[in-house]
Amino acid sequence: MAKAALLLIVLALPLLAQAQTPEAQLRCESTGQDFVYDCTLMLTRFGRPLEGAQVTVGADMPSMPMAHSVRPARARPGLKPGEYKARLDLEMLGEWAIKLRLDGPVRDLLVLHYEFDSKGAMPRKR
Amino acid sequence: MDDYAIGVLTNIALFSFIALSAYLLLIAGEMSFGQQAFFGVGAYAGGILTTLYAWPLPLAALAAMALGAVAQFLVALPTLRLRGLHFAMATLAAAEMARILFELMHWRREIDGELAGPDGTQGFRGIRWIFEHGIEPLHYLGIVGVLLALVLALFLMIERSKLGATLRGVGLDPELAASVGIDVQRIKLGVAAAAGALAALGGVLYAHHNTYIEPRNFDIMLGVHSLAYALIGGLGTAFGPLLGVLLDIGALESTRVFHGYRMIVFGGLVALVLVYRPRGLLDERTVQWLRQRFS
Repeated sequence: MAKAALLLIVLALPLLAQAQTPEAQLRCESTGQDFVYDCTLMLTRFGRPLEGAQVTVGADMPSMPMAHSVRPARARPGLKPGEYKARLDLEMLGEWAIKLRLDGPVRDLLVLHYEFDSKGAMPRKR
Repeated sequence: MDDYAIGVLTNIALFSFIALSAYLLLIAGEMSFGQQAFFGVGAYAGGILTTLYAWPLPLAALAAMALGAVAQFLVALPTLRLRGLHFAMATLAAAEMARILFELMHWRREIDGELAGPDGTQGFRGIRWIFEHGIEPLHYLGIVGVLLALVLALFLMIERSKLGATLRGVGLDPELAASVGIDVQRIKLGVAAAAGALAALGGVLYAHHNTYIEPRNFDIMLGVHSLAYALIGGLGTAFGPLLGVLLDIGALESTRVFHGYRMIVFGGLVALVLVYRPRGLLDERTVQWLRQRFS
């Protein structure tokens, strides 16, 4: 019995560990003002919406990571569970590394790569 | 202190390591456009050791510094035969080779149910040692600041010693230095290894601060900036490169209203200083004057 329980725990460990890191999806639309975007974030953890997080959104240009950084903005909770909204004021179009600093129920830093154009943002493709 | 201020100060401290590594080579008479390669070596090595092999960060930093020193020593061995611009071009070529190697590097393992490790052009995500160990941003800034202060103290000690005088002698006139029995090649190789270790230390700290690195983080822009910091700040003292970083990041942060055009401020600053102060704001003469005035 004890062996079976131990086996179950061992087998379940990878499942418990799976997606321990929160996952994020970003959608951004241009506000009409140059390089300013309204962004909606969906945060999940263990496949469920991550609620109650304090999210700060920053951005860096990958080719000059510490010089073209954008002043981080605090995201506010959206209407749906796990949804957060923030306004990004970038310096130019092109590829940006979006940095999401999470505090609260989980502490982490997620980095997402998006290509920004005059309409909005698309995930980077290589 | 808010997150933004902590982030800016951490960036200043992280840039200072690579600026000091470029400065070290400059006072030994060599201009390197390739310090970003060793910053990258440190970032990748440190990230791999803490993330894939669960090494503690201090041990990983020491190993990365050793690797950075060996890497720059190996690059310096053939390239130090070159002089001036030829050496600068050779270091730039070596740095581009390193960046391409980072692009080709795939070294992934499953950690806690997720694949982690360098994945070529897709970068290296999940360098989460500081998050796993509950280190807050302000605490991390403190760690980086203390390490920078130690490095700076070491620089100031060396500059006041016989070794410091030898280094400047080699930098100003290698033929004259050789004529009084100084082994110029040996000194320069030692300087190159130390500069590699210093850049690598900055790289490890950068990777763990950012949690994500990719080959493009270590391209020529970083090399140009690191050299420019030393040249703007001045070659008279190790405080020079720090002043260069402070001036540049300070100018960039305070001119956000100009958006992308603010990089013109940086370019203009470099051009003005190189025209009017070829050895930087804190050059040897200014440092001598300050020492006489305040001693």
